[in-house]
Amino acid sequence: MKKYIVKRILLIFPTIIGITLITYLMVRLAPGDYTSLKAGMEGELKAGSVGREILEEERKLYGLDKPILTGYADWLFKFVKLDFGTSRKDGRPVAERIKDALPVTLTLNIITILIVYIISIPLGIYSAVKKDSLFDRGSSLALFILYSLPSFWIGLLLLLYFSGGENLNIFPLGGLMSEWETEPGFFAKILDIAWHLVLPVITLTYGSFAFLARYSRANLLEVINQQYITTARAKGLSEMKVIFVHAFRNSLIPLITLMASLLPGLLGGSVIVERIFSIPGIGLLAFEAILSRDIPVIMAIGSISAILTLIGILLSDLTYAIADPRIRLESKI
Amino acid sequence: MSKKSYHTILAAALFFFITGLSGGYSRIHPSTLVEHLSAEPGTLNPMTATDAYEGMINGHIYEALVERDRDTLEMIPRLAERWTISPDKMRFRFFLKKGVRWSDGPEFTADDIIYSFRVLKDPKTANSHVKVYYLDVQSVEKIDRYTVEFLYSRPYYLALEFCGGMPVVPKHIFDDGTDFNTHKNNRLPIGTGPFKFQKWETGKRIILEANENYWGRKPGIKKIIYKIVMEQNVALQMLKKGELDVVALREIQWVRQTGSPKFTENFYKLKYYQPNFRYIGWNAKRPFFSDSRVRLALGHLINRKAILDKLMFGLGEMVTGNFYIFSKYYNKNVKQVEYDPEKGKRLLSEAGWRDTDNDGILDRDGRKFSFTFMIPSGTEFSERLASILKEDFSKVGIEMDIRKYEWAVFVNKLHNREFDAVTLAWGLGYSGDPYQLWHSSQAEKGSNFCNFINSEADDIMDKARVEFDESKRVKLYHRFHEIIYDEQPYTFLFAKPTLAAISKRFDNVKVHVTGLNIDEWIVRLEK
Repeated sequence: MKKYIVKRILLIFPTIIGITLITYLMVRLAPGDYTSLKAGMEGELKAGSVGREILEEERKLYGLDKPILTGYADWLFKFVKLDFGTSRKDGRPVAERIKDALPVTLTLNIITILIVYIISIPLGIYSAVKKDSLFDRGSSLALFILYSLPSFWIGLLLLLYFSGGENLNIFPLGGLMSEWETEPGFFAKILDIAWHLVLPVITLTYGSFAFLARYSRANLLEVINQQYITTARAKGLSEMKVIFVHAFRNSLIPLITLMASLLPGLLGGSVIVERIFSIPGIGLLAFEAILSRDIPVIMAIGSISAILTLIGILLSDLTYAIADPRIRLESKI
Repeated sequence: MSKKSYHTILAAALFFFITGLSGGYSRIHPSTLVEHLSAEPGTLNPMTATDAYEGMINGHIYEALVERDRDTLEMIPRLAERWTISPDKMRFRFFLKKGVRWSDGPEFTADDIIYSFRVLKDPKTANSHVKVYYLDVQSVEKIDRYTVEFLYSRPYYLALEFCGGMPVVPKHIFDDGTDFNTHKNNRLPIGTGPFKFQKWETGKRIILEANENYWGRKPGIKKIIYKIVMEQNVALQMLKKGELDVVALREIQWVRQTGSPKFTENFYKLKYYQPNFRYIGWNAKRPFFSDSRVRLALGHLINRKAILDKLMFGLGEMVTGNFYIFSKYYNKNVKQVEYDPEKGKRLLSEAGWRDTDNDGILDRDGRKFSFTFMIPSGTEFSERLASILKEDFSKVGIEMDIRKYEWAVFVNKLHNREFDAVTLAWGLGYSGDPYQLWHSSQAEKGSNFCNFINSEADDIMDKARVEFDESKRVKLYHRFHEIIYDEQPYTFLFAKPTLAAISKRFDNVKVHVTGLNIDEWIVRLEK
């Protein structure tokens, strides 16, 4: 086991180099660079869109005149020393920009993922147990309807009807916190944030129930039809025990695969939700960086999520072994 | 847990929740203005900033030597008390106001100007978009503590505007040996203006407060909060709810969502034009568009009035040339290219484009009239315009393919001249020198990407640049406007207005030619 873990951890390094190299190549090879974007934005060019010679000068400032591989090597060398460089948009260290956005995104995602799991998995189990019942059919119809509603539309509707000046006025119009004139108490602050998070969390969660619920339903159904479940029932065990001790635990294994995506998922923001609710999170940061070819920011976010993905995969492989002792890790590499 | 303690906790939670809510509603002070920002600026350094948002904010913090009168568009003194121009129009001497202080204390002097010019020209400073305007400034000299002189390498009628409008940054703050592009004060600006910087909550808001030591007239507003709200629909909701005082409106919001009596009772709706125009550019290097008759014909095929009404709710002015519609240079005698498909067809056939093989598509010398129309993605107007054009052109036998590109790619293609036709807008200056757009010298690498080359136009632009007599320049530019009309390098579309909704909490909200001036607003007393 130890040998396996060490091997896997060592494998992470070349993988990271591969991933970041490809990311870097893509950004550099994509047409347009940061300097040319100074000409204007959103379909309107500024007068005197900068002559070529001056742009060339400026490209040198950002090292864009160097060969791509040298640029990558420079980046990698700094990255190893945990120096992410400075963002081209505001000249601040990239680490600082990520530090600003990360807590916001983390809070939102942890709450969302918790709610999605807490609701979807029991729903899936119940649907599987009551297969083809009215509840099973009805809930799956409802979940799929939710799944197919576009979040930008729902988000705006929620704001319009629950926090507008014209209809109900229950929730705030975006943001994460009220603008306090004096520093609030701890509880008041927590409640205030919670109050601000209600609508964004609804918008983020409603579409995700369908997948997880259907997934856990399918897994459980597969297990329920196994012979050992019949055996368990034949032994005279209660239905509760059959489902939760014998069936559910075995249906967990495919769910573990999903966990691999959980860790990077925590970091991934939603551009749409962050935009509608004016929440300055990682999603918007990454999106803007890509549009403006802000290479240091793109590379930092890209490599962090690559590392998290790899760790996620490693963890889920290890959890397999715990959930299913038949799996032998040593032979897996 | 006992039932009783459970209840106590519940009650406590409820209590905190309610106090939380009411606390959150802490009222904004009446003399505070909350303005909408639809995106966050990168930096607040006027020397390197590139976005429009920076200008909105820094306009209150930083000042330049001269400024433009908001109504007459003439240059008037700001940090300079007065100026003199040498007879050869090469030397511009500015006499600075005495006793002007940076908001952190030290006096503003000639050294700040000298330093600002030095960083502006420094190749290490990431400001190519600013440098391009100062290529002809040879040097800036300090005459004494309150006098500076700019030396031009050749005369230029906009020289006063450029050297007087140069961004001025405090030497005592920035000249500390650290990197200018990433200097900490790029996000903590210190200026001489009526407001000073207070706080920047990244991604949320930027707060300015009145500069108590301001040398000029102090504004009625004591605090400005720029609130970052990216979604336009949400911003309008916030305005209605009283969380914002100033919001820029989209056309559809202006027409459909702000018409109720309740709205007009509480908000001003204001409209003004900044110098910009939208157009369709025809790449004259392509065989289809090298003939001015074809370009004019295409203009006749486009129903601009209908497009204006349909896509912009009629909010805009049809233009015939590149000059700012409210400036003297705009030649009002130039007629609009009217919508006349028959005339268009006739012109096309005169130019040799006929359907000889009866396949429904015009051709000339065996070549079909089939081109691509490049638009930037994400701009609704361009997308809808493109589909209207596609349909209208197909009726007369012209095949048009729509190519949509992300902005960075789009700009790149424009720079490399890899397009047939394109739709875009230009944001211009008020005294619009057309040189960059249309001079033949700019066709290779500059902004003349449609390859417009006309010797008379070149001649006029060269002459106008050194013509300091305004009335003569007006004559030259009126003639230029006619040439542009005859040649039709672009099909000119519209000037787009800026639309704003502003809370009636404020008085003296005037619309100047150049727009609004928050500094003169008065806070209305509570009833």
